[in-house]
Amino acid sequence: MRLHPLTSLAAAGSTAAITTAAASLPLSLAVMGAAVVLSARGGTARRLLPAAAAVLLPLGLSLLVMHGLFFPEGRTVLAQWGVARVTAEGLVFALERTAQLGAVVLALLAFSFSVSVPDLVAVLSSRGVHGRFAFVLASTLTLLPAITSRVERIRQAQESRGLVVRRGLHRAAAFRLQAVPLVLSLIEDAGTRTAALEARGFSNPGPRTSYRDVPDPILQRVLRAVLLGAAAAAVAARLLLTPAGS
Amino acid sequence: MSTTHSTQTQPILSAGIRSFTYFGDDASVLEGIDLNLVPGTFTAILGASGSGKSTLGRLLSGWLPPRTGGTLRGFLELAGTRLDFGGDREPRINPAEWGRQVGFVPQDPAAVLTTVRATVAEELAFGLENAAMERPAMKAAVERTAALLGLMELLERNPASLSGGQLRRLAIGCAIIAGPRVLIMDEPFASLDSAGTAGLARLLQDLLKLGTAVVVLSQVVDTPLLDAGTWVVLENGGVTGNGTPAELQAGSGLLPPGIRASGGEPAPAGDHPGAVHADTLLPRSGAGVPALELRGVSFGYSAGGKEAQPRNMRRRDLGGKAAGSGLVLQGINVRIQSGEILAVTGPNGAGKSTLLRHLNGLLRPTEGSVLVHGRDIAGVPPGEAARSVGLLFQQPRDQLFERTALREVRFGLDRLFHPDEAPSRAMEALSAVGLAEAAHTHPAELPASGQRLLALATVLARKPSVLALDEPTVALDGGGLALLDAAVRSAAGEGAAVVLVSHDLDYARAAAHRVVMLDGGRLDG
Repeated sequence: MRLHPLTSLAAAGSTAAITTAAASLPLSLAVMGAAVVLSARGGTARRLLPAAAAVLLPLGLSLLVMHGLFFPEGRTVLAQWGVARVTAEGLVFALERTAQLGAVVLALLAFSFSVSVPDLVAVLSSRGVHGRFAFVLASTLTLLPAITSRVERIRQAQESRGLVVRRGLHRAAAFRLQAVPLVLSLIEDAGTRTAALEARGFSNPGPRTSYRDVPDPILQRVLRAVLLGAAAAAVAARLLLTPAGS
Repeated sequence: MSTTHSTQTQPILSAGIRSFTYFGDDASVLEGIDLNLVPGTFTAILGASGSGKSTLGRLLSGWLPPRTGGTLRGFLELAGTRLDFGGDREPRINPAEWGRQVGFVPQDPAAVLTTVRATVAEELAFGLENAAMERPAMKAAVERTAALLGLMELLERNPASLSGGQLRRLAIGCAIIAGPRVLIMDEPFASLDSAGTAGLARLLQDLLKLGTAVVVLSQVVDTPLLDAGTWVVLENGGVTGNGTPAELQAGSGLLPPGIRASGGEPAPAGDHPGAVHADTLLPRSGAGVPALELRGVSFGYSAGGKEAQPRNMRRRDLGGKAAGSGLVLQGINVRIQSGEILAVTGPNGAGKSTLLRHLNGLLRPTEGSVLVHGRDIAGVPPGEAARSVGLLFQQPRDQLFERTALREVRFGLDRLFHPDEAPSRAMEALSAVGLAEAAHTHPAELPASGQRLLALATVLARKPSVLALDEPTVALDGGGLALLDAAVRSAAGEGAAVVLVSHDLDYARAAAHRVVMLDGGRLDG
């Protein structure tokens, strides 16, 4: 079944809210596992994992240092250097917080890598979001691949005229040679494309329709309501049931 | 002056251009042009590169609205509404309203694309969406247009993955889907193979029957233009001839030499008979180490697209087969001696550009090896292979990235020659392609033919011992073709091995010592 973009957005959002509210290590780990499995099945794991690692590694390490070494409630001391004590409670707390964050980050990243941009744009347009805004959103989401391929083209032209680019840092250093041509060519491109877009009625003030049909079955609409309800309930329960201060 | 010989006399689009000048320029680009385009008639506007064709096309189609792009003196009249320019109160053209009546296909079809639509069908529908057409009507229009253009098979493909010829058809589809009453196309036949040209000619006939006024701007007298009702000859921004093809055809002396006949023969100029091998000695076969050798070269896009496509290129740049379906090149074996000119021909999408990109290592074979002067270039960075191999890209805009023509040619010359020598070598190369005057012009401001010649100059300046040229004749007018021809002959005469790829069989036969055909990934000689 193809997921409506708003359904997958609701699923990711409510999962993030519920795991945060529940603050349960097994649940967080299960959500992380599920996000990775879903992403792997969708073929986006290769992009998801590095992105998640870039966010989570520094965060997780800092949590570990903070709570692992300086956890006031810690009783079971595993090691001690002056004021710094490694406590079992501190380590567990750091692990719980990292897992909680990991679940939120992975759920949201899995959504953003799996959502179909054209579907999202079509849905936004049909929900009354202005066509120009939808176009800007789509351009933004497709900008990075567009820039990458343009840089690639410029570099190939330069390599064909004797620029030697080796892997690693050299490649990054060579980028300065591509930066100015890149910006100039993007500006020139924008100029020619504007005429084409204008001639095709892009600036029409009136209403717009969408060719892309994004089916929104009743089941998914119900599912979205249930997910949002569950997220709200989890947050409410957390606020009402937890004694102040914990 | 009427441009039609039709029984219908009420023109849908008329223009009376006293002059048109770009902002910042002193001289006018167009002068004294009168056109009347009647429904159901076919007009060809012929002119060499720089004659003002593209400006005229963009002006007529509302892509270059007066006031924003330049100063127009004269009038434009569309469907009975006349707009007079050059007075106190300048009228304003609404590009969307104009575009509904007048469809335009620019020289570079990729310029039409929105770049944010995921499929060919959605790209086609973009204009209809903006006009708020209901979905069922939109679907019907997309299918009707796709059927007319042979795009039915491609409706679900990503526009970025189309080949050059397919892209051209998509751009035409985007222009005609809303049913404009006038269709203006700038060099539509350039880079189309014979099947593509025949298909487009049939489409034009269909549109004419539907009552569309069709205008083709061209510097080449492609065969379909012989069916035009009227030829208008443009030279230096003004009309110098107007009549039926029979009245103006070659021999009448009314066509300027810059306009060339289809088939790629250079304009008849005494110095350049067009056939290279007529006066170049064929190199002795088997003498010494070949300048270039391909041994069992195969190349394919793996399912993941990563391994065999290491530089993460867009498929459109490469041509070749559909994604993931087997090999684009299969066991290619070929040897080229110094001084030899080899032409590789084949239909659009046969993998010709993919083959050329192997010669300097921009692409690496999945199997087999590429040897330059006997040395395998596997593992040699393209920048180093480029010392011996000069590559002219299919699209000049993929090759040009600098701010002026001179800087463009100078790029990388310092690494090859003494730094004091580089400027003179750059100027020499610019002069060789007739662009010495344009040394300080921005490459994007040159006409298409000039851009191609500038790209050629960047290659020639390096004096490569292997010259790889991808569709060098596309966008060249008669004068440009003669310059190319002279450059190729002189490079081969000095001992360079030349591989040129062209869909144009006549040109290939005239220019090369040997012609081979690339089809289905295999080379047949």
